[in-house]
Amino acid sequence: MSSTSRTSTSTTHKQAEKPSDYVYFERTSKGFSDDAVARAKSAQMKLEHFYKVAVDAAIERNTRYVLFAPVSPSNEYHERRRVELEKRLQGEVTLSDDRKHRQLLQLGRKESTFLRLRRTKLGLGDFRTVKVIGKGAFGEVRLVQKTDTGKIYAMKTLIKQEMLKKDQLAHVRAERDVLAESNSPWVVQLFYSFQDPQTLYLIMEFLPGGDLMTMLIKYDTFSEDVTRFYIAECALAIEAVHKMGFIHRDIKPDNILIDKEGHIKLSDFGLSTGFHKQHDSAYYQKLLDSANGVSKPTAAARNSVQVNAIHLTMTSKDQIATWKANRRKLAYSTVGTPDYIAPEIFQQKGYGNECDWWSLGAIMFECLVGYPPFCSESTQETYQKIIQWQYHLAFPDDVHLSREAEDLIRRLITSPDRRMGVDQIKSHPFFYGVDWAMIRQIDAPFVPHLRSMTDTSYFPTDEIEQGNLDTPVSEGDANKDLAFLGYTFKRFTISSQA
Amino acid sequence: SPSSPSPNKPLYLCSPFVEAALVKGNFKTIVVLPKYVDIMEWVAVNVYDFYTNLNEFYGVITEHCTTQSCPTMAAGPQLNYTWINQDRKNVHLPAPTYIDYVMTWVQNLLDDEAVFPTKAGHDFPQSFPATVKHVYRQLLRVFAHIYHAHYNQILHLRSEPHFNSLFAHFLAFGREYELLDIKEVKGAPQALVGAGMLWEKWKELGILDG
Ligand SMILES: Nc1ncnc2c1ncn2[C@@H]1O[C@H](COP(=O)(O)OP(=O)(O)OP(=O)(O)O)[C@@H](O)[C@H]1O
Repeated sequence: MSSTSRTSTSTTHKQAEKPSDYVYFERTSKGFSDDAVARAKSAQMKLEHFYKVAVDAAIERNTRYVLFAPVSPSNEYHERRRVELEKRLQGEVTLSDDRKHRQLLQLGRKESTFLRLRRTKLGLGDFRTVKVIGKGAFGEVRLVQKTDTGKIYAMKTLIKQEMLKKDQLAHVRAERDVLAESNSPWVVQLFYSFQDPQTLYLIMEFLPGGDLMTMLIKYDTFSEDVTRFYIAECALAIEAVHKMGFIHRDIKPDNILIDKEGHIKLSDFGLSTGFHKQHDSAYYQKLLDSANGVSKPTAAARNSVQVNAIHLTMTSKDQIATWKANRRKLAYSTVGTPDYIAPEIFQQKGYGNECDWWSLGAIMFECLVGYPPFCSESTQETYQKIIQWQYHLAFPDDVHLSREAEDLIRRLITSPDRRMGVDQIKSHPFFYGVDWAMIRQIDAPFVPHLRSMTDTSYFPTDEIEQGNLDTPVSEGDANKDLAFLGYTFKRFTISSQA
Repeated sequence: SPSSPSPNKPLYLCSPFVEAALVKGNFKTIVVLPKYVDIMEWVAVNVYDFYTNLNEFYGVITEHCTTQSCPTMAAGPQLNYTWINQDRKNVHLPAPTYIDYVMTWVQNLLDDEAVFPTKAGHDFPQSFPATVKHVYRQLLRVFAHIYHAHYNQILHLRSEPHFNSLFAHFLAFGREYELLDIKEVKGAPQALVGAGMLWEKWKELGILDG
């Protein structure tokens, strides 16, 4: 019998080099719905990803290629862990064979546990929302509890539609992967991620101390000692990010989170701030042009004379007050605040990881002075001030800064070629007496007082709409999911396993 | 009837489609049990992946697999699989119904903590190997039906390298862990499994081991 679906014509061309059964088949997607075509593409790409992962793992098994971390989070690296352990055990002359064998068996158990985790489907239903604790450009951050284990996490939601609109896709995968692999104490840990048709979900460790922005809103300024602590820790965190091969590009107080001991961690840069459209230099150029009045004339512009009405009448005190009043709103907006971004990022020149040290300088300025160095009441104005930082970097007379502090800031907020790198920063006199190796172990200046595991008193929860706590789940279209392929991630840690 | 010089030879056995592959090389490498890993966990996760991936591809062609186009679960010129109903009777079902039953049944097993445990401390049941063989046999039938009745659609959608590799991997894994009888793959002499011929062909081509 010939199947009923065999409708298209297939003809053979008897060519010398082709096998006798060589068939020419005319392909067409005419007989398919758009949905089927999209699903086919999606199925293909998922399978490609699946085999890429499987083959990579197998190659590693066979070549016994040893890479960095002895304990890596995900399956692809489990071979790496085994090879590491085998090597380590071989070197351990004092260990009995029996002990060695038991250690290997234990490793096997861990790997088996990971395979289990791969079959475990996590979804929104496995988590109960306690509170909405933060808002971001593409979604919100909630304090959640995993229902079966009772464990507490921070869940970040990212609305796919919003991200697609803003072209945020290219970076999602690669950066997510790096984040997933990192075991750095300076970076917020990602445990799981999953998605439904509308939303990506990231389940991260919950840092109960809030963020540096909230702290700055509360305290206005820090003493030099307190500033020294936070800036030193940030310097180490930025160094860690750079060592992973990353440029953060958007370090700001909102992304500096405080753990339960009062130490800092950088929030999930790859998925939030690190890939905003505003890093696109062309986008900045447009904004700058429009601020300079060179944008193409709009209907309104033709009919009216351009004046910078409000800006001219504001005193700098007013500007600062406006900026402060709007600080949180700015953090929640899609555009975000440009206050901490290095000038070379706005320009078409290209940039390296020095740009993160500029941001550190801007944050340090804010810690000591009370507002960032180029704050203005419009983002356009801020861009311009940053580009012309030479004329706008000013230390106010009414705030006393030590010579060392001002010097460090000036060596960070400067052109990339003159900007200090990590080694110079660490040996700068401002940090005299800092024990760089031990700083994470010492007592932090502010240790959060927490009454329970789910204490959210360090978050502005009353300023955030708590509203609808259950996100609707519905059938999406296959096209949109395509962009988020390979997104599902589960961290393998012994402690996180249910 | 299509104008083909060898009307009896299905397209999936013809060049160049028979050699089309997403994954080149021998599947042994990704099939062997990783050292120290529990074999049950390895089989479980692989069955889970085969099911998930096959489901993706079947999802693509569902609009072409209807009770009209496929009134039986055909997998070869003389082969129509039957389903065993509640009264233990063999019944013919339209392919979409049959496949829906299979996929739902497998999904339920995968979700059943007593069959495919996912929680810490839960062990695999004694019956696990038998259950997996059963699952494997049914998934094989879904592959076989797609090859027999829907390969044109796979070709139109340019999915044959992907689908071939998935099936070759499925066969290699099934043989390695004795989840598949060769008889099941090839079918009976009077009722050959169309896709079963790929088995020999792929061995010839070095895609599969003996
Ligand atoms: N892991 C976490 N633990 C506790 N609070 C968190 C965590 N992650 C984020 N938050 C809170 O949510 C706020 C917003 O999170 P985050 O900055 O990561 O997202 P975002 O604002 O969407 O990022 P961006 O807008 O910069 O892309 C943070 O300022 C912080 O207060």
